[in-house]
Amino acid sequence: MYYISENNFSRFLQICDDDYDVFLPVKKGNNRFFTRYTQQIQQPVVGEVRTSDPLKAFFFRAREKVARDFEDGMPAESRKPACIVGVKACDLAGFKVQDSVFINNDYLDPFYKNERENNLIISSDCTCAIDTCFCLALGIKPYPIENFDINLTPLENGYLVEVGSEAGIKIVEIHSQLFTEPNESQKNERDTIREHTKDAVEKNIRNYTIPLKDKFEGIIEKNYESDIWQDEASTCVECGACNAICPTCHCFLLYDQKDEKKMERLRIWDSCMIKDFARVAGGANPREKLWMRLRNRFEKKFDFFPKIADIYACTGCGRCVSACPAKIDIRNVLKRLVHNVYK
Amino acid sequence: MYTSKNPYRPVKTIVLDVITETPTIKTFVLQPETPISFETGQFIEFSVPGCGEAPFTPSSRPSVSDTLEVTIMRVGKVTTRIHELKKNDIVGLRGPFGSRYPVELFKDKEVLVIGGGCGFAPVRSLMYKLFEIRGDLKKLVFRGGCRNPKEFLYRDELESWTNKNDLNIRLTVDKSDGDTVWKHDVGLVTTILGDVGMDVKNGFAVVCGPPIMMKFTTGTLLDMGFREDNIFLSMEKNMSCGIGKCGHCRIGTYYACKDGPVFRYDAIKKFPNIWD
Repeated sequence: MYYISENNFSRFLQICDDDYDVFLPVKKGNNRFFTRYTQQIQQPVVGEVRTSDPLKAFFFRAREKVARDFEDGMPAESRKPACIVGVKACDLAGFKVQDSVFINNDYLDPFYKNERENNLIISSDCTCAIDTCFCLALGIKPYPIENFDINLTPLENGYLVEVGSEAGIKIVEIHSQLFTEPNESQKNERDTIREHTKDAVEKNIRNYTIPLKDKFEGIIEKNYESDIWQDEASTCVECGACNAICPTCHCFLLYDQKDEKKMERLRIWDSCMIKDFARVAGGANPREKLWMRLRNRFEKKFDFFPKIADIYACTGCGRCVSACPAKIDIRNVLKRLVHNVYK
Repeated sequence: MYTSKNPYRPVKTIVLDVITETPTIKTFVLQPETPISFETGQFIEFSVPGCGEAPFTPSSRPSVSDTLEVTIMRVGKVTTRIHELKKNDIVGLRGPFGSRYPVELFKDKEVLVIGGGCGFAPVRSLMYKLFEIRGDLKKLVFRGGCRNPKEFLYRDELESWTNKNDLNIRLTVDKSDGDTVWKHDVGLVTTILGDVGMDVKNGFAVVCGPPIMMKFTTGTLLDMGFREDNIFLSMEKNMSCGIGKCGHCRIGTYYACKDGPVFRYDAIKKFPNIWD
């Protein structure tokens, strides 16, 4: 454990900027989002809560050129690896799902693997909760415990620093002049912040009576024929926002550029809510109706991933609650599914 | 197993020949720059640069690796573009992907192969393989059905199989449409299964065809006494990446591209709506 002052942290970011494309959260209105680091950024929001945009975009990019001109190997990208600052625990939990898809599978995705190996993650504790936060219901704490290189706890005039990987140890060692030993009161401050944030999330869970994950087993199978799906899907506009902002959604489309002379293939994010997602050219569509696709989204998260990888593919980040123009609320859907089983 | 460093990269492939099979079906003879050796039942992704990619199970001999044949019905955007291809055009192939027909299980067993319509394509490849190992099989039965004689895929070749002494074969069309040359059965493929003369309790069955045909054929096979774990089905889903990542072809806890497309019936029967 180390301590870094705010001034030293600014210098640390400048140093990181040499080897990485550094991204850090800034706030506009009530939203936080990742922006490219410049020295002019006065007020990065390292603490608080998750950004609007999901971390996955730095690893499984929204648009990636995956093949060109029939050449083997990977199309060269000129960008530096990313150093992402202020990443929250709910986003880090998304790695469990993304890794299971792109790495721990019969096949490896070399693009994702590269980003996982080369990107640097400087995560941070949440210092508050917003209305949509419910990570604790999924068993995820509002502060990182794994999958980071360096974790920061924002204190009064600096940060408490924890290293979580070889890369983290190395970078702190190289720049050891910027870090000092933390004192007891700084360590205590961290405990206080963590307790305070946990309380805030617990309050959300109580206020919305959100069920906890130990009640999730079998809720999809037992509700498969329930009218909850049709009811919840009745306002859905099939925009796919819930998929795009979800830290665990991984589906994609392979899209060939329209140049008949040159072979070029893109991998772009796809949405299982869109009608043609599973349709085959012959016309058969296993999920013809919108409510079937909504059910499929929940089935994937709360039935498929628990069965194949022993994880719920939801991290309680609440982004889909904020993003949905139809006000479909995952907390409410879960509540109804659980209620139906335990009533 | 796929060997490229980049699983999304297609191998540059030349179109050696285009054979018109029916008004809507063509067979493409393809020669990839680096040979693609597949096992019967596995599929490949066939792409036209600038247009897109679609999955097909090769219809040719799995023992031949420098060229392969794919039989394709014109139904959607990619297949329409594929049908415009000419000799010497450049296309892309990825694969092979997925599971194969478990031919090693068929040793000393009786085997029934049922194809329907465009499903003749994967089944032809399987039959080539089974003809090669015919001596190891106790009995080989083929049943093929199609909508009408005009759309009967590989009609001459399948007719020639009726002369094989070591093959019990019957062919049928749903409607003869006044084809006076058609000398085989008329009716759904499920109506010509009664005389397979097999020890059904120990026999294997392989079914490939449109979903509705597979659904009813599987039902008939079960009624006949075939065991659920001895029935193999080729499932058609929207297989896109081929490596279980893009999410489009999920069936229950499986992906058709990685865990299929050949599934044992008992492995997927518990999932809802498998035939849709």
